[in-house]
Amino acid sequence: MPTVVVMDVSLSMTRPVSVEGSEEYQRKHLAAHGLTMLFEHMATNYKLEFTALVVFSSLWELMVPFTRDYNTLQEALSNMDDYDKTCLESALVGVCNIVQQEWGGAIPCQVVLVTDGCLGIGRGSLRHSLATHNQRSESNRFPLPFPFPSKLYIMCMANLEELQSTDSLDCLERLIDLNNGEGQIFTIDGPLCLKNVQSMFGKLIDLAYTPFHAVLKCGHLTADVQVFPRPEPFVVDEEIDPIPKVINTDLEIVGFIDIADISSPPVLSRHLVLPIALNKEGDEVGTGITDDNEDENSANQIAGKIPNFCVLLHGSLKVEGMVAIVQLGPEWHGMLYSQADSKKKSNLMMSLFEPGPEPLPWLGKMGQLGPISDAKENPYGEDDNKSPFPLQPKNKRSYAQNVTVWIKPSGLQTDVQKILRNARKLPEKTQTFYKELNRLRKAALAFGFLDLLKGVADMLERECTLLPDTAHPDAAFQLTHAAQQLKLASTGTSEYAGYDHNITPLQTDFSGSSTERM
Amino acid sequence: MKIFSESHKTVFVVDHCPYMAESCRQHVEFDMLVKNRTQGIIPLAPISKSLWTCSVESSMEYCRIMYDIFPFRKLVNFIVSDSGAHVLNSWTQEDQNLQELMAALAAVGPPNPRADPECCSILHGLVAAVETLCKITEYQHEARTLLMENAERVGNRGRIICITNAKSDSHVRMLEDCVQETIHEHNKLAANSDHLMQIQKCELVLIHTYPVGEDSLVSDRSKKELSPVLTSEVHSVRAGRHLATKLNILVQQHFDLASTTITNIPMKPTFSVFDQEEQHANTSANYDVELLHHKDAHVDFLKSGDTHLGGSSREGSFKETITLKWCTPRTNNIELHYCTGAYRISPVDVNSRPSSCLTNFLLNDPRYKIDGSLEIPLERAKDQLEKHTRYWPMIISQTTIFNMQAVVPLASVIVKESLTEEDVLNCQKTIYNLVDMERKNDPLPISTVGTRGKGPKRDEQYRIMWNELETLVRAHINNSEKHQRVLECLMACRSKPPEEEERKKRGRKREDKEDKSEKAVKDYELEKTWQDLERLKGILERGKEELAEAEIIKDSPDSPEPPNKKPLVEMDETPPVEKSKGPVSLLTLWSNRINTANSRKHQEFAGRLNSVNNRAELYQHLKEENGMETTENGKASRQ
Repeated sequence: MPTVVVMDVSLSMTRPVSVEGSEEYQRKHLAAHGLTMLFEHMATNYKLEFTALVVFSSLWELMVPFTRDYNTLQEALSNMDDYDKTCLESALVGVCNIVQQEWGGAIPCQVVLVTDGCLGIGRGSLRHSLATHNQRSESNRFPLPFPFPSKLYIMCMANLEELQSTDSLDCLERLIDLNNGEGQIFTIDGPLCLKNVQSMFGKLIDLAYTPFHAVLKCGHLTADVQVFPRPEPFVVDEEIDPIPKVINTDLEIVGFIDIADISSPPVLSRHLVLPIALNKEGDEVGTGITDDNEDENSANQIAGKIPNFCVLLHGSLKVEGMVAIVQLGPEWHGMLYSQADSKKKSNLMMSLFEPGPEPLPWLGKMGQLGPISDAKENPYGEDDNKSPFPLQPKNKRSYAQNVTVWIKPSGLQTDVQKILRNARKLPEKTQTFYKELNRLRKAALAFGFLDLLKGVADMLERECTLLPDTAHPDAAFQLTHAAQQLKLASTGTSEYAGYDHNITPLQTDFSGSSTERM
Repeated sequence: MKIFSESHKTVFVVDHCPYMAESCRQHVEFDMLVKNRTQGIIPLAPISKSLWTCSVESSMEYCRIMYDIFPFRKLVNFIVSDSGAHVLNSWTQEDQNLQELMAALAAVGPPNPRADPECCSILHGLVAAVETLCKITEYQHEARTLLMENAERVGNRGRIICITNAKSDSHVRMLEDCVQETIHEHNKLAANSDHLMQIQKCELVLIHTYPVGEDSLVSDRSKKELSPVLTSEVHSVRAGRHLATKLNILVQQHFDLASTTITNIPMKPTFSVFDQEEQHANTSANYDVELLHHKDAHVDFLKSGDTHLGGSSREGSFKETITLKWCTPRTNNIELHYCTGAYRISPVDVNSRPSSCLTNFLLNDPRYKIDGSLEIPLERAKDQLEKHTRYWPMIISQTTIFNMQAVVPLASVIVKESLTEEDVLNCQKTIYNLVDMERKNDPLPISTVGTRGKGPKRDEQYRIMWNELETLVRAHINNSEKHQRVLECLMACRSKPPEEEERKKRGRKREDKEDKSEKAVKDYELEKTWQDLERLKGILERGKEELAEAEIIKDSPDSPEPPNKKPLVEMDETPPVEKSKGPVSLLTLWSNRINTANSRKHQEFAGRLNSVNNRAELYQHLKEENGMETTENGKASRQ
């Protein structure tokens, strides 16, 4: 997920810090040092991520728009001027605009705010913003919570004691609360010096920027991968299962399925799956800056020559038009697939389904999916011309079962007219006539609408009298019979008004000479 | 997101007292005159629904929408109340469908207008509703069992929707008090029971309904907390379509639904089937369908600020609907699309023609569907993947056998958990076929990428192939005894002894021939042996390299073969006569000629002079170097 670094360049950031040695440091130098460390970490582990740099005082400025070029960001750090007072609210509004313009409202974004804890004075100060928070209209809404999924990390170039001596810490905590608790405040442990700033940024990196390394497995085939961006923990039900679920670091492929069968399923998040060369035996995952860039590059070069399962998997999925179902945890699955970036380039990606035994109803329960060879008969047919999916639900939804709804008069009129239309085409339409008649009868009985049964009976009797001379003699018999049966049902007596009882066509025989049978 | 929120359990309590048999006084014309009818027929008088019919069909519509969108975990218990409470279904999932409810309602029938009103009361139903809310659902039970010591996290909340005809506001108060009192009592009971749960939260929705045209005796009241457990709201609604509209709004509120209208859906040929019955079959107007679904589906729309709000829906109800334009996919390409959510839908107007056209189109997916699920657990699939990947070369140039059509019958079945007799037979056939190929010296698809020159020689190729095949089969010998048999067959066919026998026989025959054969042939043989020697050296060297890189060479304990052995065997299998017929390399032609010419010029070999029966053993030093092999395979002794 993209990052916006919001750097305080107000005058208070130029306050000197007494540091060992002769060189004089200002807080902004400490801040720049910490950010350098962050950028270097990202350049190594988060190459693909975009980062923007915003500086602010009473005004704000986008110094570096979203980029993957960490050198540019680094350069910008050393070219920052000093300005006037801190005005956090306008800077946060700026962040909202920048992120929404670039990423819209659905992409999660991390905001790293670097400040010294001096929150400005008068209008535009954070105290003022918070004091007026409840008196806002929609047009000057406070920028928090951010209108996109976010984490707000506040990096204070001050230690806890200093912040607590004023109400700064409380104000900053309010900010996190306003962002629905999404975020955290970091302060410097001990005296302000380069080492302690490093350790503070180290904590941020551990919390928010550790790459997610995993082992992708398919039977005996394995590959070390980085899943990017890092999959975030997920809460299934805040009440009965409040502990966020995290995905396994062993990603085990359990099977393969046609794209047509899985058909663009809803996903929680999607991630690139990148093969990685692990750094020798240590497999140092995460913290700090990896200063052995060269070693890593050569490791990557060697890795490029070794056949990798990711390559095999990606190629196969692409060629076969399939996805791989991967187990992410207990009762939690996802899918691996090839996603085309452009006409020529495509990537291996992983999407996470919602945790649960049946994330995609049209596939049924995940645990019930099995190898084709186990089925008595190939569910895809010998010529691969059919598919067992989507599964039919046990109970059909209302729109698939021809339910009767008479809330609008038109619903009722349509049903009555259907009967009438078929009545005029008796005896050819005998089956449809009785089918529609029984449907109406059932609904009328369930709704206690017995008057309708009487009404339709009357109508059928009238139709009988209107039959043309050319009509088949059976028509009259069937109409009379149906009307009589409806009348009986309309009495509501259990004998004739059983819900499961069906009116059946009158058995007539006009083939022989037995017309007088009736 | 909470599974066990108030909407997990909904109890409908519908008044079945004599008063409900009253007409709603809203007429329905049901005898519509159809075109081309004989003149002069007076249509039948319109009919009207009773308060009961209106209540029941509106509640069924509520349930229909709910079941469509939440087929699981949202449950309804239906109670009708007259002189007692009639509970029509239970919380079990099997009871949760419209058909069950309709059948149960039909069994109850309409209220009897002649029953004694004094004996009848909605209170019976309300008491039963509280009682039923205390009953545990299978979902609650399952969650409690799963959570073990955290079982108390499973909530018990519910909603009572009561449709009645109240006499006054104080009558409504009385009903509320009764519900509150009953909850209090039943919670005490439930506290001491294992199969009952205390009600934590109950939402009472009282709907007073009365015939159109009458004045309401009850006033509306928005939701109010009567106790920490009970909230109550009162809706005073005219019967008929007003009641249906009210319940439609309620179902949306209760289940967080929103509305989307799909506009401009074309009447495709697929749809026209539904037109045939109608008079306007040839109108091809586009149509709109309004759907309900969970409102999460709109979250991203609203966030993006791009609200396709189409104002109020066509129903004229209070809700807003988002309009989307139908888009017919241009291609039939099957692709994965990024999808952040999929939501169940329910058409607002389920049996209107446009709705049924759309839903039928969507349901009539030409794909084959089967009932029920395949009863195979996912674990079997994992097992299978394990078996299939025991031997799986990652790149094409690393494998010979998977590039050979001839190996497919064996490779495809050997990974199975168990083999049939037929499978074993097929494997054996495959092996025999390979032996045959080897005999015929058929080329193998061995990659030459990364090797200098033409790559390994034919005999060498076969050895690599056999080794690889053996690795594959060995990976599966523990699957079953039949797998073991396949390996035995493989080992028998590729091992030397039987072939040796055969070759010796052949060798002897050849010797007889050779006695009579011409000198040129002998010269050719000589030349060949010379070539063999050169090759032998090469192979010895290459063999060393291979031993280092390909561990597979060593792992055939039954046939410990030095790398130089096989090529020799191979060589021998091709009778010289055939060889001269077949394509001969320029080098061979040339050497043969030179050799023949030279043989005329030089002195007879000492060996030949010293030969016994015109035979001499050549290259005796090899015998010392390689043990007995050179003589063993009877090769060098030929001349």
